[in-house]
Amino acid sequence: MDFYLGLLQILGVHTLLGLSAYVVLLTGQVSMAQAGFYAVGAYVAAMCTAMFGMHILPAVIVAALVSGALAMCVGFPALRVRGLMLVVATLAFGEMVRLFFFNLRWQVDLGGRLVGPNGAEGFRSIRFFPENGWDTGDVALFIWGIVAVVMAALWWVDNTRAGAVLRAVGHDEVAAQSIGLNLTSVKVTVMAVGGAIAGLGGGLYAHTVTHIEHGVFGVLLATFAIAYPILGGLGSVFGTLLAVIFVQGFLVEGLRFIGDWRSLLFGALIVVAMNLRPTGLLGERMPPLRKFFKRNDALKAQSTEAE
Amino acid sequence: MDYYFFIDLIQSLVDGLLFGTTYALIGIGFTLIFGVMRKLNLAYGAAALAGTYVGLAASLTMSLPPIVVFAISALGSGVIGYIVYLGCFRFTPASHPMASLLASVGMLLFIDELVIHLSHGMPYPYPSALRNAELTFGELWIRGDLLFVFGICVLAMGVLYWLLYRTPLGLATRAVSQQPRAAQLCGIPTERVNALTFVIAGILGGTAGAMTAAAVGVLSPVIAMGLTTKGLIVVVIGGLGSIPGAIIGGLMVGAAENVFQLLRGVTERDIYVMLLLFIFLTLRPGGLFGSTAGRD
Repeated sequence: MDFYLGLLQILGVHTLLGLSAYVVLLTGQVSMAQAGFYAVGAYVAAMCTAMFGMHILPAVIVAALVSGALAMCVGFPALRVRGLMLVVATLAFGEMVRLFFFNLRWQVDLGGRLVGPNGAEGFRSIRFFPENGWDTGDVALFIWGIVAVVMAALWWVDNTRAGAVLRAVGHDEVAAQSIGLNLTSVKVTVMAVGGAIAGLGGGLYAHTVTHIEHGVFGVLLATFAIAYPILGGLGSVFGTLLAVIFVQGFLVEGLRFIGDWRSLLFGALIVVAMNLRPTGLLGERMPPLRKFFKRNDALKAQSTEAE
Repeated sequence: MDYYFFIDLIQSLVDGLLFGTTYALIGIGFTLIFGVMRKLNLAYGAAALAGTYVGLAASLTMSLPPIVVFAISALGSGVIGYIVYLGCFRFTPASHPMASLLASVGMLLFIDELVIHLSHGMPYPYPSALRNAELTFGELWIRGDLLFVFGICVLAMGVLYWLLYRTPLGLATRAVSQQPRAAQLCGIPTERVNALTFVIAGILGGTAGAMTAAAVGVLSPVIAMGLTTKGLIVVVIGGLGSIPGAIIGGLMVGAAENVFQLLRGVTERDIYVMLLLFIFLTLRPGGLFGSTAGRD
């Protein structure tokens, strides 16, 4: 049972990572810096609980705010360039964050024990959950509570005018600008929101694994972050969730029995999926649920007519 | 600043410029592919690495002279470049640029894992030419193998220049990169040109990979990520779509990397190289030779 609860925690954390890239992707920008914001969130939240003895909830909120503010600062220079150049700029930023933590040494003495990030060795003993007697179930519930809040918020935004604004910028920047939208403010805002969500995910991640090091937050994680929403489809938040469950639940855990070959399979599957279904699994639009019911009604009507 | 520090600085600058030619080659490859397809091929660095491994496999099975190993590496990478084209770009619709981008990411992961799987993640020694030779100018000395790397990379650029500006194939490539539809109307088979560009870029990448491995002396899968990020930085600094820009950007990145390694140590040098990139992005988003600022 603990295994499945652990898997649930991983799914929750990765969903937050995927959603952070989803928000940015809605405006047509591909950000490879999400792993960097995730790393900032992880280190900041871990510092708050392990070094300064804060509770987990304010710690992850602080982490989200710091990551969001950083993302906003990155947004201004990086969003001067578009499309492919942005990929390069954000990729470089993500690597820069990773290298920063690779070189960061800042430890405090807590009761004869040194706690804090220690360069290449990473940040050990982030033990908020075990110290406060949370078991795996509590942690999974806590993570999914946060995921549910974030997903609901994004779902709500998607169905308001703000969602339409984001998609308008994503579909045609010139047209969006011509109806009076301020492109820079829209893009910097989504960058900040994406950064904050990634920071939230990173903060939770740090506490579930208790030990973080710079190597985890590399380019590979950044590609996973953009892979989830694109693979799942940009129609709604559920595409990302579906892709995370498929990749982490099925490909990584479900296929463990085929051993090392599954990482080969992952890359190959992305290539095949993008050739067969370039708009993602759920497509670019949310599949309209009402249509299913309507079709049923229509079928019923037909069958009654036939009778 | 004392005299010996100054000598060290000049020395690392020279070494960096010589090694920077490999970055320039990778940058040219990215630029070529972007020029004809208007798409980014993130699997390029991995394809270059895989080609280098093909050369290594050949040298492990038969004992070959280094120059033949380098040639096999380059050709192998060309073939892999064609496979990448088929897998990620040929059949994905042009209206969905994200599909081909993500497909190339998938290909990057696939090639990387395949190489790690087949080589068991172990670094292997890679042959190099003129290892024991060296040139001395007073206090400065130049490693023979680095000079060889420089020579081969310059030769590759020369051949590319001849190919692009002196042959019908080059004319067709330049036509497609200027205006694909017009080129097609003039009877140029766009798809064949695209495929050939991937092969040519692959050969350049394989040469760069082989030269990197020859300069370092060992070949390990770690090189792929470095080639990809450095190549992309070179492209941004030089200007997307510009070959002279890629050459100058490559030399700059190589020199900056070595100088910062001297000043700040090996673990911090990449941070400063990326800061250089950000300075370019804010002050000159189009790059050194980019025609329009930050266009798609």
